[in-house]
Amino acid sequence: MSGRVGSPAKYRFEDRFLFIIVPLFVLDGILGIWGFHYHHLHPAGALAVFCATAQSSPIIAFIFIIGLYLAEEKDEFQKSVLVQSMLWAIGATLAVSTFWGSMEKYSQAPHMDIAWVQFLFCAVMIVAIGANRWRYR
Amino acid sequence: MEDRMLFIGMPLLVANIALAIWGIGYRHLHAAGAYLPAILFALLGVAFIVIFGLYLKEEQDEFQRDLWVQALLWGIGATLTVITLWGSLVEFELAKGLKLIFVFPLFMLITCIARLVLKLRYR
Repeated sequence: MSGRVGSPAKYRFEDRFLFIIVPLFVLDGILGIWGFHYHHLHPAGALAVFCATAQSSPIIAFIFIIGLYLAEEKDEFQKSVLVQSMLWAIGATLAVSTFWGSMEKYSQAPHMDIAWVQFLFCAVMIVAIGANRWRYR
Repeated sequence: MEDRMLFIGMPLLVANIALAIWGIGYRHLHAAGAYLPAILFALLGVAFIVIFGLYLKEEQDEFQRDLWVQALLWGIGATLTVITLWGSLVEFELAKGLKLIFVFPLFMLITCIARLVLKLRYR
């Protein structure tokens, strides 16, 4: 049996993830399967706004939940590791997006959709968290 | 940071402006030559990121560093929120596509506003 007591902020983060993000992803999946997202029903006006909001809501909710976790976390070391990882991620994401954006502008490089910025940020952040944990192991 | 901005950032900015005025950056160059303005333009952004990263690493005043880190975190959160929402609006043809090159200025704008608000909060 592990004697470690986890951080309450982490528990709250996990609870919020489970009870807010997961249902939003399920809603997103249902909307996607029913074809709202894939223009089978050609959503327009208020329905299109609803679909766009529903599609982006899990990621926006995740950003808010991470922010709440950072505000509530008492363990300065854990907070510092996450903040450092986020700063590395934003640095790398901005460097790549600026470089690719200028290539698009000046050298007719293929257009990269803006949605890829979040995935790039998350990928770099996960690598940075791993690297930081390994560094402070 | 000021020295680095003055001796690295400023010359890159001047080179960028010179290229823009001479029109080299506006699709007059072809093939390999077109990479020069692209790389020069990106180099300015990358140099700023590296210089700012070095500043955060070297800053001894914990309070000042904390203010900047808080502002950067607000910048990250708000930028990613705007991008996510904008991307979805584009998918449903409710907005025009946002170019990748505007991500950095958007982030800078939000971070500067957040820094100002934090400065007012702790004045």
